[in-house]
Amino acid sequence: MSGRACEIFVGTSGYSYPEWTGAGFYPPGMKQREMLAFYAGRFAAVELNFTWYQMPKADALDRMRGQVPPSFLFAVKLNRTLTHEVSPGEWPENARRFREGIAPLVQSGQLGAVLVQLPPFFHRTPDRRRYLANLLEALDGLPLAVEFRHASWAAEAAAEKVAASLAARRIALVAVDAPRLPGLYPPVPPAPVGRIIPPAFFYLRLHGRNAAGWRSGVMQRQFDYDYSEAELREWTEARIPAMVDRAARGFVFFNNHVRGQAPRNAEALAALLVARGLSCKPPPGRFSPCGLSEELPWTGPSST
Amino acid sequence: MDRAVIHLNVADFAVSVERLIDAQLRGRPVIVAPGDTRAAVYDMSDEAFRAGVRKGMSLARAVRICRRAVVLPPRPSRYEQAMTAVCRLARPFSPLIESGGNDGHLFVDVTASGRYLGPPVDMAWRMQREIRRRLDLDPIWAVASNKLTAKAATRTVKPAGEAIVGGGEEADFLAPLPLGLLPGITPSDLVRFRDFNFDRVADAQALDADQMQVAFGRRGRIFHDLVRGVDPSPVAHMNQRPPRVAAAHAFGGDTNDDRILDAALYGLVETAGTALRERRMTARRIGVILDYADGVRCARRQASAVGTADDPALYALARGAFGLARIRRVRICHMSLVCDRLVFPSGQMSLFDDGGSLRQARLGAALDAIRRRFGRDAVRMGRTLPV
Repeated sequence: MSGRACEIFVGTSGYSYPEWTGAGFYPPGMKQREMLAFYAGRFAAVELNFTWYQMPKADALDRMRGQVPPSFLFAVKLNRTLTHEVSPGEWPENARRFREGIAPLVQSGQLGAVLVQLPPFFHRTPDRRRYLANLLEALDGLPLAVEFRHASWAAEAAAEKVAASLAARRIALVAVDAPRLPGLYPPVPPAPVGRIIPPAFFYLRLHGRNAAGWRSGVMQRQFDYDYSEAELREWTEARIPAMVDRAARGFVFFNNHVRGQAPRNAEALAALLVARGLSCKPPPGRFSPCGLSEELPWTGPSST
Repeated sequence: MDRAVIHLNVADFAVSVERLIDAQLRGRPVIVAPGDTRAAVYDMSDEAFRAGVRKGMSLARAVRICRRAVVLPPRPSRYEQAMTAVCRLARPFSPLIESGGNDGHLFVDVTASGRYLGPPVDMAWRMQREIRRRLDLDPIWAVASNKLTAKAATRTVKPAGEAIVGGGEEADFLAPLPLGLLPGITPSDLVRFRDFNFDRVADAQALDADQMQVAFGRRGRIFHDLVRGVDPSPVAHMNQRPPRVAAAHAFGGDTNDDRILDAALYGLVETAGTALRERRMTARRIGVILDYADGVRCARRQASAVGTADDPALYALARGAFGLARIRRVRICHMSLVCDRLVFPSGQMSLFDDGGSLRQARLGAALDAIRRRFGRDAVRMGRTLPV
């Protein structure tokens, strides 16, 4: 598959952060309800993380959908009752409720992906493998991306089996950029996936590399990191092009939300991708409060 | 900047605390009420609720409806202890913590904490996790831009779950809800809304401020904001004195005449009741403070499981507290009345009411309207007239 055929959607994990106003991303005085429309003028996709905390509700997602252009895509994080706080008797019903909640996005074609982020304590054991298989079966038909956070899923004996099993279901294995700490799932791209069956899409999450704050239990420390250009180039020069070669579509989300670093780094990465000739999806519409418009640094002819 | 207010609600708080003490109560219907069969239900488990038991119902009736129920006496000191522990776990997230009483409800304003502790939804989830882990209680939580919307949101997910209402989405969120679910709407308000064929919040949202005022008088302005989820009231600081309503009466000459004392007490109840109704709050406790002519002061309180702002119900409580405080034959020179444990009234109408309390609420609303228009003394209860 040629690299130019793969459209890359760059965005952030969440968008509704009041501190992004002080950081200069949102205009001063912007209300929370206006943020998504403004965000859609800067990025082509967003990863919704509130759905991890609260089971998504169709009417709420439908209202959100109405605030963005039709080509804007949502990646939706799977609810915690299906990943971190699983109740054996209740999870099938919760999976059904989740599907029901995101239905407006499915119907409008704006569901980019469902992120199945598994917790650090989710080791690779027979019980958990069985649960994961059942869960993925219950979510069959949705564009799924699985993020492992425990190293056992990348152990030498397991990595290829895991990758093959996901690829057979056309499920993306999430690539992560995070601190190099013992026990964490390593950064990918997961080479075996691409070699076996090309996934429908690739999915990259950049959490920041704040090793000191990673296990602090406080998000403001864990995700407080500003990527340097050299660190972003590690991805744009080799790793992302390798994934682009194997996928039809790609999502790149920055999770280092603290102090507005995520949108700043996302725009910088998008500019590097465009400079490298990759097809980076431009934001579908420009937000122009009071007639003001802003030229984005990374929307060029190669992105159309 | 939009505010971020978390509402935590440990459903059936008294029962949840009792179940911590006695694990055998789990899964069984439980009613908390004083032993006297004429007493009212203070709290009940979800199992008892599903069987038809309601707060404020007579215990005799509740036991007939739910024969398997275990009946326990209220133990307020235990509930207070548990509530203190819940507040302590919320404290690292903000100093702005307001609890309505020992009832499992807590508001936490985390607007300013986000910069240090992360997104409000994450804080709410972490509070819930800590309360579960350390106290084995399982609160419902909601995040919204104000107390009113956050509280309405937890009511929509009871007995378990969570709700997030984004800033600016308050009116949309409330629109499909029944009017009775809104904090601050009383049963008598519901009757008035039904006169206009309004059942859902969306029905009332169709009226603008002027139309609302035509329909509901001065309260129209309040309702106009209420149905749109507008509530600028702050979350009190943890060390701040809890909200209360007080009134006082000084006797021209010291007295121990029962009729004069009773007239003064009822007058204080009317003053406090009017203030409560204007604030859209109900009181769950009344205190009476008597200053005797010889300088001795005696204060006594009476609590109720159910909040009220109706004068006769307030008077019944006040009369009980007065009886406890009047323990001497010495004349009285000053009397004060304090209503506290203020809570939003429940809009839920009693299934077993014979209509009396509703009629009383409507009478109270009519008296308030007359007094607002023509002055406080335009209409008076006979018992408050000079002897």
